[in-house]
Amino acid sequence: MPNARELIKHFIENEGHKVDAAPPDDAGVSELLFRTRGQVFSVTTTEGDDTAFSISTAYEIPDWAREPAQNTEALDRVHNEHPDVVFTLAHDGSLFVATLDESAQSSQELVHGFWLLVARLRDAGTQAIEDIVDRTESKVAAEKFINSFMMGGGQ
Amino acid sequence: MIDPLRPIELALAEEGLYFTRDDDEDAYRVAFKSEGDRYFVVSYRDDPTFVMIGSGWALPVGIDPIDAIDVANRLNVRKKFVKTALWEEESDVLFTVELCVNTTGEVRPHFGRLLNVLRDTASEFFDQLREEDDEEP
Repeated sequence: MPNARELIKHFIENEGHKVDAAPPDDAGVSELLFRTRGQVFSVTTTEGDDTAFSISTAYEIPDWAREPAQNTEALDRVHNEHPDVVFTLAHDGSLFVATLDESAQSSQELVHGFWLLVARLRDAGTQAIEDIVDRTESKVAAEKFINSFMMGGGQ
Repeated sequence: MIDPLRPIELALAEEGLYFTRDDDEDAYRVAFKSEGDRYFVVSYRDDPTFVMIGSGWALPVGIDPIDAIDVANRLNVRKKFVKTALWEEESDVLFTVELCVNTTGEVRPHFGRLLNVLRDTASEFFDQLREEDDEEP
């Protein structure tokens, strides 16, 4: 019986995608990387637990939108709408990682609905990056307007 | 002889997808899967400026072909790039993007977008077909 790592790797490859598989680390945690629709996803499995995995994907935040306090609020707001997706700001706020944990009754059920999970993660991540960018753009526009008004340009 | 579908192979490699070749005396063909769905790319030897990217699906059993044609027509009016057609005695539906290019290298930077519109069109087609089916008494 293949373990979760092998089962998921085989499934993704069989669905047409190349998989970059890292060997398990000392704690038995291993990572599978694959790309779909231009986005890289990471699947993490743990040896001895063949009925669960985590799937993550990272989004780069544009330079001009890197405001950690404001972006943490934005990620919290999107998390409230997608409670199963956990968001983590990383690399000094230059990117965030969206993660979903999946568990099944058996290892054979693990890959049922795999692409729906990917789609849910993608939807939540896209919503988060749009929220971050929209709020920042609104703020920049508001500041421009206020500056212009303060200088008399609003008359 | 330059392989006209080599840029498509490179685009597929960039997308992280496996592919197979199935060329014959008439055409160059690439077949691949993405998220489990099957796609193909074709270019004809006697018309190398034509390239077609597509996917074919079986219609669900019990679907009225008239309803399916109606949905396809509405998508054809509205959708950029993608043509939706019923074929094989109206038991299958085919989604294709057909382009005229100097080389398929011109397609390469847009390949991800074209795959997305093929996926979205198939998804919309079946969603609308289900809605029509639900509305019928």
